Amino acid sequence: MRPALTLAAQERRFALALLAPALLALLLVTTVPLVYLAWNSLNRIDLGMPWMSGFAGLDNYAQMGSDPRFWNSLWLTLVYTASTVVLQVLIGLGLALLVLQIPKGQGVLRVGAILPIVLAPVVVGLFWRTLVLAPDVGLVDVATRALGLGSHNWLGDPQLALISVIAIHTWQWTPFAFLVLLATLSTLPGDIYEAARLDRAGAWQRFRHITLPLIRPAVVMVVILRTMTALSAFAAIFAATGGGPGSATEILNLYAYRTSFTELNIGYGSSLAMVLLGITMAVSWLMFRLRKARS
Amino acid sequence: MNGRNKALRHAALWAVALLLLAVWAFPVLWGLLTSFKTERDVLAYPPKVFFTPTLDNYREVISGGSSILPNLWSSLVVSGWATFLTMLFAVPAAYALARLRYPGKRASGFYVLATQMLPPVGLIIPFYLVLQKIGGLDSYSGLTAIYLTFSLPFAVWLMVSYFEDIPYEMEEAALLDRAGRLRTLWYVILPQVRGGIAVTTIFVFLNAWNEFLFAVVLGGNKVRPVTVAMYNFISLEQTQWARLAAGAMLAMAPVILIGLFAQRHIVKGLTVGAVKGGGRR
Repeated sequence: MRPALTLAAQERRFALALLAPALLALLLVTTVPLVYLAWNSLNRIDLGMPWMSGFAGLDNYAQMGSDPRFWNSLWLTLVYTASTVVLQVLIGLGLALLVLQIPKGQGVLRVGAILPIVLAPVVVGLFWRTLVLAPDVGLVDVATRALGLGSHNWLGDPQLALISVIAIHTWQWTPFAFLVLLATLSTLPGDIYEAARLDRAGAWQRFRHITLPLIRPAVVMVVILRTMTALSAFAAIFAATGGGPGSATEILNLYAYRTSFTELNIGYGSSLAMVLLGITMAVSWLMFRLRKARS
Repeated sequence: MNGRNKALRHAALWAVALLLLAVWAFPVLWGLLTSFKTERDVLAYPPKVFFTPTLDNYREVISGGSSILPNLWSSLVVSGWATFLTMLFAVPAAYALARLRYPGKRASGFYVLATQMLPPVGLIIPFYLVLQKIGGLDSYSGLTAIYLTFSLPFAVWLMVSYFEDIPYEMEEAALLDRAGRLRTLWYVILPQVRGGIAVTTIFVFLNAWNEFLFAVVLGGNKVRPVTVAMYNFISLEQTQWARLAAGAMLAMAPVILIGLFAQRHIVKGLTVGAVKGGGRR
């Protein structure tokens, strides 16, 4: 036998060799660009007026204070993220609890639930914009007209547009929460429930005191993953409304994109992206703290 | 009394379940139906469920003026390369993270996790500037590189959860036989995670195929993935929805087929990655 120390050293060297390619690749494609982004956010870079470019210090960040479009996008990001995540978890959990009671045919439902998840968000946005929400011919509009609620400009009216993009996101990603929670629920041991039933615990009590504590880790995980997806949502909104009408559905993502690539103001766009990065980091830190505290 | 109650309850449950299925499947089925309509039938009110189907839309998006075949090819090349490189880097790294002892293990794991949280719009700006400077816009390598930003961290973490399922005894036995670490990994460990590798590959490919933001900014006339082509349909040709539907059906056929056939694995992948892999850390 070789001495233990050599074995440990050998293991270290092997680990390093296995990790190096992935870590180098990540460093090159994520960290280096981020440093460049941070630097850009301190510069004035206007592709429409290249001669104006130069170091600007914190000017871009100072500009946000008096930029109503920025505060609007921040507010919309909060509304969009919070409402889609809450809706997904509530609807997903409710449906999972319902479907769990169906003895047969869960497979069909699971196949149906897979459909929205695998579709490209941009295609989802386009489908909703044309076939589902278009005035007169869209499915939803046909339904509201048939019910006597009249035809609406679902993506053209500022308030309806926000509701619509929230609905689109919720439609596409609720199946994720549903499938994960259904899988978690079906692994729960049945005998605890038997015991609880013998103790005459009601349905709500059983849910509150047995089910909920058991599935809490899964729920927290779903919340974290869904929040991250909502914070980086782009394609479906872009395809459905483009951020409009005006800036009615312009979450921070879309504002940073439009500033950078439509208005070609890359410096300011970079600083907006930095704010988004800060928010994402803060939210993920908070959530991981939350999970640690709970589990 | 009890029996009738039970039957009623089942009927109600089924009604809710069917409604749910309809809400999720309907837009896709409606899109399928629309793809066989003429543009006139698409705009009819009330919408037509029965109509004379036509294959014109498919003919147009396959061999006509707005053929999406080049776009499907672009998507295949970019997604294929991104998937290949991702798996090449992710599988060894995941094994090290799951099984080996080395200094800085927690830090390296956290680093991979943190890169997964980065907002895409924050990455696309520097990528655009750099690729513009070195003439890398509208190239397969540029797009493949940025696809690694989301696929690599994801694949590493999913694979970690699969590696952790293997009993320690297996590799210990192999190591005691002086099989060597690399040989142990290749001949003993990897065959155990074949399923996990397949699921991860499917996920990575699917995500790359569906990507839009990076493709629309970094692509161009040469490299234009099918998601961008879909978007261009609607901005260029205002009311050609039947054509859009036909194109979307073709573009989404691979992921829908994957979804239907690998349904069980996808659910497992979601839960392994989400609940188990995540619940631990």
